[in-house]
Amino acid sequence: MIEAEHLSKEYGSVVAVSDVSFRVGIGEVVGFLGPNGAGKTTTLRILAGFLGATAGIVRIGGHDIVQESVRARAQIGYLPEATPLYPELRVREYLAFRAGIKRVARAKRRAALDRALALARIEDVADTLILHLSKGYRQRVGLADALIASPPLLILDEPTIGLDPNQIRDVRKLIRELGDNHTILLSTHILPEVESTCDRAMVIHHGQLLAQGTIEELRTLRKGGGATLLLRDPERRAGEVLARVGGVTGVTVEDSMEGGRQFVRVRVTMQEDKPGADRVIEYVVSTLVDEGIAIRELTPARASLEDVFVQLTRSDELRAVRGGEA
Amino acid sequence: MTGFWPIYRREMLSLWVTPLAWVLLTVFLLLQGLSFYWIVRHLSMLAELSVDSGPLQSYFGQSIFLIVSLLLLCPALTMRLFAEEKRSGTIETLMTAPVSPAGVVLGKYLAVLTTYLLIWAPTVLYAVILRRTGEVDWPVVGASYLGVFGIGAGYLALGTLMSAMTRSQLVALILTSVCSFGLFIFGIGEYIFDPGPLRQFCAHVSVFSQMDEFSKGIVDLRRLVFHATLVWLPLFVTVRVVDSWRWG
Repeated sequence: MIEAEHLSKEYGSVVAVSDVSFRVGIGEVVGFLGPNGAGKTTTLRILAGFLGATAGIVRIGGHDIVQESVRARAQIGYLPEATPLYPELRVREYLAFRAGIKRVARAKRRAALDRALALARIEDVADTLILHLSKGYRQRVGLADALIASPPLLILDEPTIGLDPNQIRDVRKLIRELGDNHTILLSTHILPEVESTCDRAMVIHHGQLLAQGTIEELRTLRKGGGATLLLRDPERRAGEVLARVGGVTGVTVEDSMEGGRQFVRVRVTMQEDKPGADRVIEYVVSTLVDEGIAIRELTPARASLEDVFVQLTRSDELRAVRGGEA
Repeated sequence: MTGFWPIYRREMLSLWVTPLAWVLLTVFLLLQGLSFYWIVRHLSMLAELSVDSGPLQSYFGQSIFLIVSLLLLCPALTMRLFAEEKRSGTIETLMTAPVSPAGVVLGKYLAVLTTYLLIWAPTVLYAVILRRTGEVDWPVVGASYLGVFGIGAGYLALGTLMSAMTRSQLVALILTSVCSFGLFIFGIGEYIFDPGPLRQFCAHVSVFSQMDEFSKGIVDLRRLVFHATLVWLPLFVTVRVVDSWRWG
């Protein structure tokens, strides 16, 4: 559905996006992840045909966004980041205008409008001036606009920004439902959003695509693993004992009361990219037992997308710093 | 031309559901009414009238009031066309819809041109009122309105271009006023320079002499070509400007 090849965008000397290539297949729900200012909005604007890329090609459903712009744009329902609307119009008037501009056939316009109002759950404000709507409603009017022509592709820039928790849950539910018969590309800097709505994610930082893959694939990108242990350790020796175990890279210790009894909760991180790394956890357990510290619980840490994200974006900064020094 | 009709309708709606068009209509008609009243009052005190200086000829052709109110009306009508869309960000939803730059520009331009004509429409009553006391030469009145239409169309096209060049309505208003006033000032050259090419040029672009001719029923094709150029050129540049935003 989307093919982007070697996209770059420069504003004068500032490079906003640099050599980004990816594909989004029909029916996929893909998250576009990155911290603020990473180049997400710029990339989405290029895909939606609002900005021209300095270099690179974008094809939407096989149509080049520059050469066959109108045809390519006709396939997209685009929700910009700030959800700009005309405040002087009523919701129904605005959506009727958008349906007209997106060339919804006159006979079907009424039905398309009712369907979009229902999908975005804004029937109750259909005759209200946009001026008087709250941020949450405006966001949903924007969403209704993106849906009105039933486009095969939805590009949503930060669809849940500025919403309260209930509205966020509603919008995510709606995105999941829409994912059944639309291709969706959504950008966000909120990780649970990607985990809860997307099949696949791409991580962008400083204008470069750092990683892409399914959520599971991205999780395995995390280098190093860890475990959380609940210990009975009245003498508080666990910290120094574990620090001596080879392969352990970090230990944090805190007190914990469980069922009225005093325990110590210990978080261990270990390197996993060295040979024999998968056995570090066994050494940890045997060392603790040898030292006479009782283990009550052991939970291997499952890498969250957040860890991956932090690691990817941080290590990139580290590389940049090192590159600068060299 | 894709997207022309929805954009035209949206612009008309936005113009007439906000106070702007109504305020302009009221102020404009007040000024015109005063102008017409003074002219009629003045002429009613004269003993004899020449054939080509009846009240309507004076109103359309000899009154500076008419030009000045155009200089105020046209920039105010066009200032928000693109500047407001750029400031509020709606330009992003507009330009990512399947529309062509020409459709966007023409839709917006023709909406303000229609509004301009609607604002002028009630002044036809002046001719109707005069008819009760004397003869009205309707073709001559038609020529006068053709002149008003031509000048307005040119000024509005200039305003559309200026609005596309900035995100501030105020800047668009000032730029349009300066340009249209500049064109008007050129016309004064007709009374300053010695006879020669420069004077001829000034007379050709003079809005004032144009209205004087039109009000007497003289429809000169050269004038119409001038107006058509004044409409086409700014609109053509506007389409290019709108197309160029993508590469900004």
